[in-house]
Amino acid sequence: MKNTQSKNKPNAIWQFLSSVKLTIVLLILLAIVSIVGTVIPQEQGAVEFAKTLSPAMFRFLSTLQLFDMYNAPWFRLLIAFLALNLVVCSINRFPSTWKRFSAKPAPDRSKPFENDSMEDFLEVSVNGDKASKRVEKILRSNYKNVRQKTSDGNHYFYGDKGRFSYFGVYVVHLSVLLILVGGLVGSFFGFEAYVNILEGEKTDRVIIRKTMSPLDLGFEVRCDKFSVDFYKTGAPREFKSNLSFLVNGKAVRKNDLLVNHPVEFGGVTFYQASYGSVAGKEARLRIDKKSNKPVSSEKTVKNNISYPLPGSEGTYQVIDMRNDIMHLGPAVLISIQPKTGEPLEFWVFKNYDAVQKKLPPPMLTSPKFNPEAFSPYRFSLTGLETVYYTGLQANRDPGVPIVWAGCFLMVSGLFMTFFMSHKRVWVRVLTRRTKTRIEVAGTTNKNPVGLQSELHKLISSLKNEFGK
Amino acid sequence: MDSSQILSYTTFVYFGAFMAYLLGMVMNRAFLSRLGTYLSLLGIAAQTLAIILRWVESYEMGIGHAPLSNLYESLVFFSWTLMLLYLILEWRTKNRAFGTFVTPLVFLAMAYASFSPNISSQIQPLIPALKSNWLISHVITCFFGYAAFAMSFGVSIMYLLKRLDTAEKDNRFLRLIPSTAILDDLNYQMIVIGFLMLTLGIITGSVWAHSAWGTYWSWDPKETWSLITWLVYAAVIHTRLVRGWKGKKIAILSIVGFSCVLFTYFGVNYLAGLHSYAKK
Repeated sequence: MKNTQSKNKPNAIWQFLSSVKLTIVLLILLAIVSIVGTVIPQEQGAVEFAKTLSPAMFRFLSTLQLFDMYNAPWFRLLIAFLALNLVVCSINRFPSTWKRFSAKPAPDRSKPFENDSMEDFLEVSVNGDKASKRVEKILRSNYKNVRQKTSDGNHYFYGDKGRFSYFGVYVVHLSVLLILVGGLVGSFFGFEAYVNILEGEKTDRVIIRKTMSPLDLGFEVRCDKFSVDFYKTGAPREFKSNLSFLVNGKAVRKNDLLVNHPVEFGGVTFYQASYGSVAGKEARLRIDKKSNKPVSSEKTVKNNISYPLPGSEGTYQVIDMRNDIMHLGPAVLISIQPKTGEPLEFWVFKNYDAVQKKLPPPMLTSPKFNPEAFSPYRFSLTGLETVYYTGLQANRDPGVPIVWAGCFLMVSGLFMTFFMSHKRVWVRVLTRRTKTRIEVAGTTNKNPVGLQSELHKLISSLKNEFGK
Repeated sequence: MDSSQILSYTTFVYFGAFMAYLLGMVMNRAFLSRLGTYLSLLGIAAQTLAIILRWVESYEMGIGHAPLSNLYESLVFFSWTLMLLYLILEWRTKNRAFGTFVTPLVFLAMAYASFSPNISSQIQPLIPALKSNWLISHVITCFFGYAAFAMSFGVSIMYLLKRLDTAEKDNRFLRLIPSTAILDDLNYQMIVIGFLMLTLGIITGSVWAHSAWGTYWSWDPKETWSLITWLVYAAVIHTRLVRGWKGKKIAILSIVGFSCVLFTYFGVNYLAGLHSYAKK
C-alpha cells in the first residue's frame, strides 16, 4: 500500500497532496475564484456585458475564459485537484482510523476509573458471580463489542457504541466525490434542450441549448391543449400543457405537465418552462371604401387565400400574421393584386391609433405602414386568432441519481461526524466482604457531555436491575 | 390590526429588549437584563402570532401560501429563527450577556424589513415556480443556518472583546461575558449547526430547482454565493478539526464566514439571477 510506503520513505508529492493545508488553500481559492464568476456575467449575460468593455479588456477576460468560467478547464482542474487531495488525505488517514475503529481495549483497564466521580457506582448485596451475569445482560442489550474478564473473583466488562462515527468524515468525503461524479456523468451523457410547441401541434425534435443544434427524440410530443390562468394582478397563477407522447404515430401516453411537476418519457424529462402566443391562421378585417357611396364590409379571412375587393378593383390576401411586431401589437401583412397597376404590400395594425403615436414620422408616411396605401380603400384589423405555444425544457441527466445519493450521504456523514461519538464504557463488579460493588466509567472521542448522560443512563438502568 | 402592523410593533419591542440587555450589562443591573428576556419573549410571541396571521390573511386573499416568499417575509422569518435560537441558548446557558450581542441583529433585520422603502410588506401572489413544498423546506433550512451563523458571529465578537478582559482592568462589562473557553466551544457548535443547515438548504434548493427548471445547479449568483459560504465554513471546520485552530483565529474566520452569509442574503440582489423574486 502506498501510505505505508510514504511512512517509510516520505514521498514529496504524496506528502504535498495529503496535506490539509492544501485542502484549506484549495477551498479558499475555489471560494475566491467563484466570486469572479458572480461579478462577471456568464454565458448569455456575457454578450451584453462584453459590449461595454474595451477591446483589450475583452481579450484579457476571454483569454482567461472568464465569460464561461464555471465550464473553463482551469476551474474544473481546480475542482479535480481538490478531489485528488481529498482522496489522498482519506487514504493517508485510513490506517489510523481503522486502528481506532477496531481497537479492543482490555476490560480490566483501570485508567478510565481514575478521574471518576463518586456517584458512578452502586453497592448490592447479590454475590459477585450472580451480579456480573445481570450486569452483562444489561451491557449486551445496550452496547456492542461487550467483552468480559474475570480475575481474583472480580468481573471486568467493556462495551461501546458509536464506533462507526469514525467513518463519518469518509462518508462526507465520498459524498463530495459522488456529487462531482454525478455532475460529470450528466455533462458527458446528458443534455439540456428546449422546444416550443404550438397548441394542437407535435414535434419529434428538440434544440440542445449549448450547441443550438436539433436533437431527434425518437418519439413525438404533441401539445393537445395549453391553458393558463392569471391572478387579478395579471401575473400567471398556473400554466399547464396537456401532452401526448406518440410512438410511431400512435399516442401511447397522455400527461398533464405543470410547473414544478415534470414528466418523464423515453428517458427524457420534460419541464413546463414557459409559454407564449403567436398568430393563428385567421384574421378579421374591415374594409372601407371611400366614395360617394361608401362601402363597408367586415369578414373573417384565412391566411394566403385570395379574396375579391368589395369594389372589384382586384383581389387581396393576407400573407403574414403576427401576434406582435416591433412591440406594436398584432398586425397582418396585406397583399393587393389590382386589376391594373403594380401589386402592393402593406402592414395593417390592430391598434393603429397607438401605432401612430409610437412610430417615428418617416415610417408613418411610408406606404408600408399605411392602411390606406391602396386608395380609396382603408383596411382595419379588428381581430386576430391567437394560438398558445408551450415552452418545454427537455433534459436527460443520468447523473442526477448519483448526485442525490451523494447529497443523502453528505447529510448522513455530517450527522455522523458532528453529532455521533464513540462512547466506551467499563464496568467492574468487585466482590467486597459483605457486598458487591459495581463501578462504571467511560471515555469518548468527543462530546463529554453526551458521555456523562450516557453513564447516568447506564447507572440508573443498573440501579433499576438491582431494585435500588 | 393586520400582521405587518404587529410586526412593526415587534421591531420596537426587540429594540427595547436590546437596550435592556445592553444597559443591564453596562450598569450591572440584573433586573434590566431580566427585562430584556421578558421583552424578547413578548416580541417572539407577537411575531409568531403575526406570522400565523399573515399566513391566514394570504388565504383570505385567495393567494394562500406560507409567509416565506419574498424579502420582507424572509427577513421576518430570519429574525424569528435568530430570536428563537438565542432564547434557547439563554435558557441553556443561563447567561444573558449573549443578548447584548445577538438581539441587535434581530432588531436590525426587523427594522430593515419594516422601514426600508425598497421592501414591500404586501402579501404577493406566488409565481408558479415558487409553488412547491420544497420552498418551505428550502427557506426553513437556509434561515436556520443563517441564524446559527449569526449567533456564531455574535459569539465571535464577544470572544474578541473578552480577550481584552484582564484582572487588573476590572471592567464590569467584560467581566459579565462568559469565559473564552465557553465562547470558543459555543462558536464551534454554532458553526457546525449552521453548516449542516446550510448543506440541507443547498440540497433542498437543488432538488427544487431540478423539479422546476430541470437543473439542480446552474451557477446562478445566489447559488454560487451559497457555495462560497459553504466552502468558507468547510475550511473553518477543517482548520479546527484537523489543524486544531481555536479561539481568536476561529472567531475571525467566523466573522469572515458571516460576511459571506450577508452577501449571499443581500449583496447578491445587486447581481442578476434566478432568485430575483427574493429582492422585493
